[in-house]
Amino acid sequence: MTHLLEVRNLETRFFTEEGIVHAVNGITYTLNEGESLGIVGESGSGKSVGVLSVMGLIPNPPGRVTAGEVIYGGRDLLKLTPSEMRRVRGHEIAMVFQDPMTSLNPVLTIGRQMTEAMELHLSIDHETAMKRAAELLSMVGLPNAADRLNDYPHQFSGGQRQRVGIAMALSCNPSILIADEPTTALDVTIQAQIVDLVKRLKEKIGMAVIWITHDLGVVASLVEKVAVMYSGFIVETAPVHELYQNTSHPYTLGLLESLPKVDAKTKQRLIPIQGLPPDLLKEPRHCPFAPRCRYAVDQCWEENPSLKPVAPEHYSACWRWENARQDARQRMMTIGEVA
Amino acid sequence: MTAYIIRRLLILPVIMIGVTMLIFAMMQFLGPVERSALYIRDFPKTQGQIDAVIRRYGLDDPFLVQYWHWLVGKEDPETGELLGGILRGDLGFSRTGREPVIDLLKRRLPVTAELALVSMLPIVVIGIWLGMQAALHHNEPIDQGARVFAILGYSFPTFVFGLLVLLIFYAKLNWFPPGRLSTQFSLEVTRPGFENYTRFLTLDALLNLRFDIFMDALRHMVLPVVTLSYLSWALLLKVTRSSMLEALRQDYVTTARAKGLSERVVTNRHVRKNALIPVATIAGSTVASLFNGVVITETIFDIPGLGSAAAAAALSLDVMTMLAYALFTAFLFVSVNLLVDVMYAVLDPRVRLG
Repeated sequence: MTHLLEVRNLETRFFTEEGIVHAVNGITYTLNEGESLGIVGESGSGKSVGVLSVMGLIPNPPGRVTAGEVIYGGRDLLKLTPSEMRRVRGHEIAMVFQDPMTSLNPVLTIGRQMTEAMELHLSIDHETAMKRAAELLSMVGLPNAADRLNDYPHQFSGGQRQRVGIAMALSCNPSILIADEPTTALDVTIQAQIVDLVKRLKEKIGMAVIWITHDLGVVASLVEKVAVMYSGFIVETAPVHELYQNTSHPYTLGLLESLPKVDAKTKQRLIPIQGLPPDLLKEPRHCPFAPRCRYAVDQCWEENPSLKPVAPEHYSACWRWENARQDARQRMMTIGEVA
Repeated sequence: MTAYIIRRLLILPVIMIGVTMLIFAMMQFLGPVERSALYIRDFPKTQGQIDAVIRRYGLDDPFLVQYWHWLVGKEDPETGELLGGILRGDLGFSRTGREPVIDLLKRRLPVTAELALVSMLPIVVIGIWLGMQAALHHNEPIDQGARVFAILGYSFPTFVFGLLVLLIFYAKLNWFPPGRLSTQFSLEVTRPGFENYTRFLTLDALLNLRFDIFMDALRHMVLPVVTLSYLSWALLLKVTRSSMLEALRQDYVTTARAKGLSERVVTNRHVRKNALIPVATIAGSTVASLFNGVVITETIFDIPGLGSAAAAAALSLDVMTMLAYALFTAFLFVSVNLLVDVMYAVLDPRVRLG
């Protein structure tokens, strides 16, 4: 079966005055039709840059995709001309951004911002587009949708704006929706609503979703598989239940340990990941997580591990994944965690 | 939007009262005797004349009474004739101009206004347009050139720049002479047969179908226009460039690109309007400051406008003319600020809709 989207060895660099930033270091993943993938990692792990590279939205200069392929619909998106790529953007692959306060243009009406993509990609006139915009807005749960098309972003709350952002992204029936931390800037109660909304829309429309987050908890209910990124590498990838139950990378384990668990049977202290994220200016020669890893041995400092299968559909880039998995299982038993 | 503009307009008289009161208060630094001297042309002035003038114009009345009289005029205690009153257009007598100040304004204002209006063209084209291009081609040659140009513009004082271009383009090359017109035409435009429709020389020349006079007037305007406006080019270029760069970095620009819009649409629809909001502020004060720049520019290039009149008045302590000039610039600043506020409302819905 061919995949809907196939990213192979994608590598993105930023050429700055301080040196070359190794933002994305050869990541590979696939996405099937209607499937949803969570990309998890801390700030600076390259998760946003990774999807912006797929969209061809890396600002150049200073950034550039230096290697890899992004196969979509039998074509390598990285080889498309700018105008060919514009027909993919917003039409085949659409995006929702992190901060709804800044990702909408403050001086244009919501109607104008919603219709411009439809007029461009669906070749419909403004009136039809406005009608469809109103339908989309009520689909994402905005009351009085038709009346609000002439309003400006500052007349909406943060959660409402993110709903607008989602409606906007879905306006041209994309086959892939990329959501770049769409709930990070929102209140916790609103976060849950937005996650729910996307889940519902995904079932209804059937598009594939790439959901980027730094919060392993958020994606658990939403996605089918997860890729964990660290320092521009995918360090572990697995179906979501497998990842929670058979965690096989020290970093993923660290992320889980630092997550509070409300329904834990015994009280468990949160364990932070020690140390700081790596300096992306240095070319990675050893395992990037080694300086912060409690399992690190000499081998980790000599050779950067690549992704290796540890179970069916489960890959980990760690020399000592078995030790990490053992501890993960141990932890699971003590707190009775169910993913 | 209309309500917003009406609110702004209603504030205008309040501001004008404040401004005129301030200007009038400055005049009060002179005592009644000193001020009376402004009304007496004889020299030496006698005590009797002074007392008569003080009585006639009420120069020792309380401040607010005098201010009121200054605004609406005062009856002569002997003849019952209404004297003064800036609201009636009586701004006093200009000693340096040897005519009533209001006549001087009427004659000289169009000259200065024409100069300032023509100066706006290069300000918009060079300042704003080049600033946008520089931002869109960040760190490319056009951007580097624009930056060097802006720094040069900043660092040249107007009087040095004016004399320098006069030296090069008039004294050495004789391309652009000073004054308003060449000698053969300057007589012709005062004779019957040349109608002064607008008192703007270039426009009148066109309306009289005298293209030779039009070209001559334009030729004379090149150096003053450049001298008057280069500082504003530099300033607006800098502001436009940086606010464009700022707007280009915003998240909503990435959103717009993610929709598949072309760079042209992204710039024209999403970036430009946002970038122009700060530019409107600067453009407003720039236009107003043009009217201060004319003092030096008109003096250097021997142009009979408001600026050179103000300079002459200042040099010989001609208080009436100075006051009129101060009133005029104050009024101009207030109106331009009003215009900027309206522009904000047009550009930014957050202002318009509160």
